[in-house]
Amino acid sequence: MSMLEVQNLNVRYLTENGASEVIKDISFQVEKGEIVGLAGESGSGKSTAMLAVMGLLDGRAKIQCRTLSLGGGPVRPGYNAAMIFQDPLSSLNPSLRIGKQITETIRLRQKCNRKEVAARAEELLDMVGIHNPSLRMRQYPHELSGGMRQRVVLAIALACSPDLIIADEPTTALDAVVQAQILSLFKRIVRETGTSLLLVSHDMGVTAALCSRVYVMHQGKIVEGGSAEDIFYSPAEDYTKRLLADARGSRKVPAKAAESTPLIRLEHVTKTFDPSEGIRDLSAEICKGEIFALAGESGSGKTTTAKVLTGILCEDSGHLYYKGKLLPGKNRMEAFGGRVQMVFQDPCASLNPGLTVRQALREALLASARRGGETPDPGRTDRKITDMLELTGISGGDADRYPGEFSGGQRQRIGIARALITGPELLVCDEALSSLDATTREQILDLLFDLQKKIGFACLFISHDMYVVRRISGRIGVMYGGRLIEAGSTGTVCSDPWHPYTKQLLESVPEPDPLRAAKVKAAPSKERGQDAGKGCPFAGKCGYAMECCLSEIPETLRFGERQVACFLYSEAHSGKRDRNYKMTSQI
Amino acid sequence: MLKYTVRRIVTGLISLFVLATITFFLVRLIPGSPFQRGGVSEQVVEAVEQEYGLNEPVISQYMSYMSNLLRGDLGISYQDPSNRVTDIIARAWPVTASIGIAALAVSLLLGTIAGVVRAVTGKRYVKELISGGSMLAAGIPGFAAAILLLLVFSVKLKWLPASGLMTPAHYILPVTALSLYPAAMISRLLSNTLSGELQKDYVLFARAKGLGKWRVILVHALKNSYLPVLNYIGPASASLLTGSFVIESIFTIPGLGREFVGSITNRDYTLILGLTVFMGAVVIIINLFTDLLCAWLSPQTRRAYRKEEF
Repeated sequence: MSMLEVQNLNVRYLTENGASEVIKDISFQVEKGEIVGLAGESGSGKSTAMLAVMGLLDGRAKIQCRTLSLGGGPVRPGYNAAMIFQDPLSSLNPSLRIGKQITETIRLRQKCNRKEVAARAEELLDMVGIHNPSLRMRQYPHELSGGMRQRVVLAIALACSPDLIIADEPTTALDAVVQAQILSLFKRIVRETGTSLLLVSHDMGVTAALCSRVYVMHQGKIVEGGSAEDIFYSPAEDYTKRLLADARGSRKVPAKAAESTPLIRLEHVTKTFDPSEGIRDLSAEICKGEIFALAGESGSGKTTTAKVLTGILCEDSGHLYYKGKLLPGKNRMEAFGGRVQMVFQDPCASLNPGLTVRQALREALLASARRGGETPDPGRTDRKITDMLELTGISGGDADRYPGEFSGGQRQRIGIARALITGPELLVCDEALSSLDATTREQILDLLFDLQKKIGFACLFISHDMYVVRRISGRIGVMYGGRLIEAGSTGTVCSDPWHPYTKQLLESVPEPDPLRAAKVKAAPSKERGQDAGKGCPFAGKCGYAMECCLSEIPETLRFGERQVACFLYSEAHSGKRDRNYKMTSQI
Repeated sequence: MLKYTVRRIVTGLISLFVLATITFFLVRLIPGSPFQRGGVSEQVVEAVEQEYGLNEPVISQYMSYMSNLLRGDLGISYQDPSNRVTDIIARAWPVTASIGIAALAVSLLLGTIAGVVRAVTGKRYVKELISGGSMLAAGIPGFAAAILLLLVFSVKLKWLPASGLMTPAHYILPVTALSLYPAAMISRLLSNTLSGELQKDYVLFARAKGLGKWRVILVHALKNSYLPVLNYIGPASASLLTGSFVIESIFTIPGLGREFVGSITNRDYTLILGLTVFMGAVVIIINLFTDLLCAWLSPQTRRAYRKEEF
């Protein structure tokens, strides 16, 4: 008998128009100490099935199951089973201290005094790799980083010494480096405690990195199940093949910028909020008709860069040039005259739910026409809207529907249509694909790529996902701690990273291949002591750090089209070089 | 946090000063003299005005009033020279405050219970009952509710006394009349935010931790739902604690509200001013107290306060 045994699970939702079946007769098993993956695109019913197993669905759901047992008994959340959700920030209660959120779970199971409970909680935090647990116990969730929060959530899950942990997209909200750390933590915890882990993920790379067995779900059914090797190397079902093809994706060959005339140039731009947030001394340029990507972990200043560039924020110091002309600090949006448009991460939040698609697009069109001082002709406006929608893959007949009636991928198409309808020279995509699952992401990526080729606008593509960045962009900039630490053509940077952080970032991305993904190394999460604001921002985590890295800020060095901010490449610290010396990677 | 509190107290004092100044000059704009009434001759009025210094230029009157105010002296009532304004407040406020606090406690208790039950219950008719009840309670004007209560419980049924505040039983009707509206508002606000909070991931996670339904609701969700309620309770309790003229008149309660309206009809300059300054102080203190309570409930608000300090 397996640890978790689920046979013929059905879930129906009772709605006003009758019952709708969301989970159709699925069966699966998890052995003791095994990591099993549940893969599939979003909306395939993965989460619903897991909530049904945990008994956490609300009253409207009707669950039928022939067998549902964990270790021979029923599934009891908090006693023999635990569950972890996608977003660690929203899983934790914002107004209770971390300590209390852990101890209340421990107290549920055993009667013991305050001291023993606190000791056990600290032990759990230590187990999930949180240093200085007694300090963390007194803090609130918003005071921790994303990775740390997910570690706390895992500690809470471990508090009941569960036989089974269900992790529902546990690393989707995290960036690549932290994701690799959390994945290796999961591996270690399973090895040390002997618990079983059921990992739900739309990311085939994550699934490949951890799981020994995989089930693939599609439209509420399990279409295929087997060992990771079977699923990844010889999938039997068409759906699995498609899923894998989407996840592997072929590298697009980005159109080389026809003319490398700079469209926008940033020179020594600084914009800071807190001592640790914002951007510092950033110089970069985006040429006409190219896709320039900004990569880096969350909080590295990518979004701030986009906001300064579009004029939403005003820089503290530095200069911006638009087509060689210095841009004014104020009213930058006016200076652009609608030639810079943005596509946002969350397509639900960035479309007004009270406007139909046509109204939203017309509004954008009219605003840009008004700026140009023309009076638009209604017939032409309507035709333009229909054309743009068709171009982005939305049928013109759907123009009078509201955003709420579209799926996430369609909404992102509408977001792109709205941005492109004014004919911008620069499109800024801020994490525009991050909230989409692999298959949809692939479609939108294709769309963006084709549109860019067809229309020829320049694009600043911001993403924490190296995998996407690598495939779409012609040139790439890597940010860390508010600084641009490396930039160059995407092909060379990704195949031959120079900066230690770029290398770490690239190595952290798990590929949808069990053999390779298992080799992903997690960067040490422990930081060396370093004065904030002094030295290279990455010095604390860098394996190559020298003394100067801790005290001085490396200047940006240029080698042809490549730029890197690291002492490994400076003459002062690596010795004088021949004038014709061709710089290569030093790491 | 201390810095924030100190800064709030300082701004509170400044607003109090502005309030006193504006009221001082507005009061002087009321036509007629405090001592003018039928059967009193012009000479007598002038003589009394001279005695109280009302014939001096307004600016010098203002200066002397302000310097007295700084020493905590609100002057004597023009209408009733045997009483100092501070004595009148000391007599009337405890009465007002006692029914105000009782009403606050009742509305909090009732509102919270009704709000939680409405958010949590799965029974349609319980939901509708509470919604309808709170709509009714919020819709009836205070005086109508008071008169209705008076008619039913003390005139017809003769269960409860109609006027005065001698025994605990005397409190029941005015407190009920006062707390109907705030209780209804609290229950609506709370049930709306609580149903929103219950949809959130941390509630699901708390249940996945194995916590019981009521522990999740009372320990986790309720604390986060109280923020908007607190923001309503602040101003509401300020109005409860400064007294309601209507309720105090109907139940003949010798409270602050009645004194205030009386002082205006009598053009009792010092009493109007004194009561205004006092009520202003109560409002400012209560608002500060609510904001500190919000900070205690929500670490994010606390952080926002700290950031403001820079």
